[in-house]
Amino acid sequence: MATTSSSPSMAIPGQFLGPVSKFQPGPGTHIHESNLYASLLGVVNIAQPAKAPGPVKRLNKIINTQTSPAELPTISVLRAAGSSDKREVLPEVGNVVLCRVIRIMPRQAVVAILICGDTVLEAEWQGLIRVQDVRATEKDRVKIYDSFRPGDIVRAEVISLGDQASYYLSTARNELGVIMATSEAGNTMYPVNWKEYKDPETGLSEPRKVAKPY
Amino acid sequence: MSTESPLVVLPGEAIDPSLIPTHKKKPLRLGPGLRHIPPSEIVPTVAGQLVVDHRKTSMWIEYNGGRYIPSQGDLIIGQIARSATDFYYVSLSPYTPNATLPHLAFESATKKTRPQLASGDLVYARVSLANRHMDPELECVNSSTGKSDGLGPLKDGMVFDVSLGFARRLLMAKSREEGKVEVLEALGEEGLAFETAVGRNGKVWVGSESVKAVVVVGRALRETDERGLGVEAQRKLVKKLVREMR
Repeated sequence: MATTSSSPSMAIPGQFLGPVSKFQPGPGTHIHESNLYASLLGVVNIAQPAKAPGPVKRLNKIINTQTSPAELPTISVLRAAGSSDKREVLPEVGNVVLCRVIRIMPRQAVVAILICGDTVLEAEWQGLIRVQDVRATEKDRVKIYDSFRPGDIVRAEVISLGDQASYYLSTARNELGVIMATSEAGNTMYPVNWKEYKDPETGLSEPRKVAKPY
Repeated sequence: MSTESPLVVLPGEAIDPSLIPTHKKKPLRLGPGLRHIPPSEIVPTVAGQLVVDHRKTSMWIEYNGGRYIPSQGDLIIGQIARSATDFYYVSLSPYTPNATLPHLAFESATKKTRPQLASGDLVYARVSLANRHMDPELECVNSSTGKSDGLGPLKDGMVFDVSLGFARRLLMAKSREEGKVEVLEALGEEGLAFETAVGRNGKVWVGSESVKAVVVVGRALRETDERGLGVEAQRKLVKKLVREMR
């Protein structure tokens, strides 16, 4: 490789991009022995720094500008995509997602994450809402059967990327919870209060952890 | 107050509106086997005898199904399949998933002083949670009072299989009049000393000091169930069995 000062335009995972003294690491890159390497297969972007940058939150790492005296350009590797719409969106920690309840068990509810933020996901990711993450108060007396039922649409927040099988989600805020539910008789129900949905045809109400409407 | 001639209905049959009890203030209550389709249709979902109670303005269907479906509040006899971290897996019937029974759901049970049940042991428990989305959960203690009310592990004795309808009749409060089941009382009158526990899932546990008594009681129950004996025939059967035993 004769390139000494210029970084490549396309990168494969593990490709050397530049030293840490010249670039700031962005998404798709990682540092190894004070050198920047690409983590993804894609196009290399170099972003010139803004005039007055504040502390930047990137994934889980806060970059403090005091430690980078000169404003270094940020180098990042983005997946090459035909059109920007096809870029795959993954749920990150702190995202509010919409999901459908697949299965309920005594200590957790298994859900399928359908929508992350505003984008409909191409693949359905599995999520888990544990019994202690359903509510903020009285966590030990939560009953999953009185909070969710299979088929409900739930608004939840991602609290952890979880393990190999599923993300961990939480509905422990007022505006999180069940937003759409179907009754046992098969009719769409409307919410009555924070813990009940009512079927307009039969008049029966069913317990759920209801999300506060905006 | 049930109707004089038993009315047998099939699933989906229309019910004569004159049979439905009406009351100005009390709402009509539907028991198992009936389904309400708004606004005014009441449809049976199982085949059986339609029973109407005018005093309580309720109606339900007495049926003898083959498959036990757990419902909340039922008393059942289960067998411990295995023990997990916090609960036992209890088998209610060979064709359904196991129910869970928490380790501490016994009277005055703490982590140190709880009954240690092995796989294969029998328990008399109540269904605390049953719905079609989750496996049933059991308890051996009344969660509000903390007393066991006769629930808990069953030692010695023997379990006999009976039909679900017979188990329900045995569990009725007035088993002699309404259930037409007198076999247990008759056996007691003959001088046999035994105790029984009836599980709604079609199991009856019989325990006694003498093995012969257990066998006689079990035979009497089985014959009454299989042959559908009436009260008089039950008494004759009991007399015959006790005579054979002696």
